[in-house]
Amino acid sequence: MRKNIDAICIIDDDPITIFCIKKLLKFVVNCPDISTHLNGKIAIDYINSLVERKEAFPKVIFLDINMPVMDGWQFLEEFIALPIKEIIKINIITSSIDPLDIEKFEQFKRRTKHNIHFSHKPIGREEIEEIINRK
Amino acid sequence: MNNLKTDITPYLVKQLPQATAFVDAKLKLVFASDKWLALFDFAGQNVNGKSLHQLLGTIDHKQQKILKNCLQGTPGKTYHLQDLDIDHQERWTAWDHIPWYDDKENIIGVILQTTDVTKTFTQEQQLKKLEGQLTDISEISQVGLWEYCAEKQSLFWCDISKKIHEVPKTYKPQLESAINFYKEGFSRNTISMVVYKAMENGTPWREKLQLITKKGNEKWVIAAGKPIYKNNKIIGITGTLQDIDDQVASETKTKESERLLKTVIHNLPLNVFIKDRESRKILVNKSEYEFLGFDNPQSVLGKSDFAFYDKQTAQDSRDEELHIMKSLKPMLNKEVINIKKDGTSTALLTSKIPLMGEDGSINGIVGFSLDISEMKQKEAELMELININALQNKKLINFAHIVSHNLRSHTSNFSMLLDFLVNERDETEKHRIVNMLIEASDNLLETLENLNTVIDINHNVNLEKEPIKINERIVHLEEDLSGYLKNNNATIINTISDDIHVLAVAPYLDNILVNFITNSIKYKKPEEDPIITLGASKNGKHTIISIADNGLGIDLQKYGDKLFGMYKTFHDRTDARGIGLYITKNQMEAMNGKIITCSEVGKGTTFNLYFDDTIKS
Repeated sequence: MRKNIDAICIIDDDPITIFCIKKLLKFVVNCPDISTHLNGKIAIDYINSLVERKEAFPKVIFLDINMPVMDGWQFLEEFIALPIKEIIKINIITSSIDPLDIEKFEQFKRRTKHNIHFSHKPIGREEIEEIINRK
Repeated sequence: MNNLKTDITPYLVKQLPQATAFVDAKLKLVFASDKWLALFDFAGQNVNGKSLHQLLGTIDHKQQKILKNCLQGTPGKTYHLQDLDIDHQERWTAWDHIPWYDDKENIIGVILQTTDVTKTFTQEQQLKKLEGQLTDISEISQVGLWEYCAEKQSLFWCDISKKIHEVPKTYKPQLESAINFYKEGFSRNTISMVVYKAMENGTPWREKLQLITKKGNEKWVIAAGKPIYKNNKIIGITGTLQDIDDQVASETKTKESERLLKTVIHNLPLNVFIKDRESRKILVNKSEYEFLGFDNPQSVLGKSDFAFYDKQTAQDSRDEELHIMKSLKPMLNKEVINIKKDGTSTALLTSKIPLMGEDGSINGIVGFSLDISEMKQKEAELMELININALQNKKLINFAHIVSHNLRSHTSNFSMLLDFLVNERDETEKHRIVNMLIEASDNLLETLENLNTVIDINHNVNLEKEPIKINERIVHLEEDLSGYLKNNNATIINTISDDIHVLAVAPYLDNILVNFITNSIKYKKPEEDPIITLGASKNGKHTIISIADNGLGIDLQKYGDKLFGMYKTFHDRTDARGIGLYITKNQMEAMNGKIITCSEVGKGTTFNLYFDDTIKS
């Protein structure tokens, strides 16, 4: 049974990763609105516009860390400051194994009500399923 | 005979040279010589016929007995004490009693011969008293007395002298054995000589000598002596002997500790000094005066730090010492830089301790300082090495993460794409995935190439730096980039004069210049033609080449720390690969140089390239 989700947001500067996530999502969800953004700046601008227009908000975000202009951490910093009532599932998906990144993730986890998760690339179908179904 | 007796006898008796009196059996005076009468103040009085009792007052029991014995034929002697009214003097008289026989050998009385012995008597008493006092003094002061009589060849030692020699009180000393008590060598030779000289020339002596007692103990004594004269002739020697062993021992000990202390202080590899309350040096050790540039302590003593150090150093030191003398708290192991008058500076590790008098008042300062210049130098070198190491380490870890991140990024893409490909039925989608695999492969190759470049820069430590005329390289570069410059309407304004050289590795320099110039064009403002201004200046041991543009600029507050990071891009541009600045930075650092960036968003960016002018790479 595929789950229904209104909107999903993918933030990554690598087209191949975007392609892969999108393809994996098709197996597990019905989502009419999957938006993709090449860096944190574009994504936060998009989300800000949604908040301003009070439009439906993506409930699940896939976030890369190393991106030009605004990286994943800078995005998170601005995102958690936004006045969003719902709890959003944020999935950091990275190929980084830098312990500093894990540390930063733990810090953000403590600071926000949102449901943040950290996974290393590559991810497969089971993992995407788990992410989507996670409470 | 009777005639004679009556006529001449009194007259004869009268003239006797000694005080003589004749008494009959009833002790009545019959005759007396003038001397006798004078002795008892009877001159001119008729005392004949008066009894001795009448004349002399009470006759003591002893004399009565003698008189009685004498009348029976036994002579006797007695002394008689008499108080004379005049001056309350005492007079001692000696009385010889001789029986007085008549011509028929009958004892008819006693002949008394009286001598005034007061003088002898008192002298004897005084002598006894003196002797007693002398013994007392000798015992109290522990000074031994001795006397040598040449005529009898006898030597007298008092008890203390015997005690000093550790011989029993019954010991009978001889001159020779006495001399042999002195330690063989200097002491014995000296004593023999002084005794001889005293006997010959009457020279007195006083010598500090060593003797070995009867019990075999070695001790220091002061032996003094002087000749005894009788009728201008030397008849002996008298002297004293004083045990000064404890004194000498403690003296020797003090001297020894003093010498030890001096040896230690002078040979300490540490500057030691004592200063008075005015901070003038009153004691310096060898290290200290040599450190101050002298070969003797006298050149340093009595002077303050103002004589050796520059004004500031000396004043600081003086203030420090005033504080210590006031607070009475020592200053321990303080690192100070001391600058001497000639300008040489030394790093010293100094301790200063308040010097207190016995009464608790402050007398000055005791100081120690250790020259740690060399140590500090080594420490600085070590710190530099540690810093370089830490930097290298950081770079290495950074690089390792970059490599791992980049490779993982590509391999995970491969893995995901291959997973899709295996399960894909749709031909069009299969084709799409294969294209993506090719793209991923190209990306991986490019990444590997970039990583290789970086490794090469960091490992080609043997690349020699050479002086390069910068303008020659710029002319080449402008030719190479002429098409690119023209397409972008770019202008290069070169203000660098032709004689400017930089010490650089030629291929690196070319790459760095190309990178910055193309970057300036890549990040130009869309509506403005790029203008790049090149300049040069000198700053210490660096030659600075500046590359300024009128482009987009970078928010350095946000991106400053990432500007030269690998795969960091700051502009949303498709041709930004995030590798160029990372490589230029590595190349500059490999040449011992650095890059300093100034930028303002919307105005432009200036990169200042600091080329190290020293040949060391």
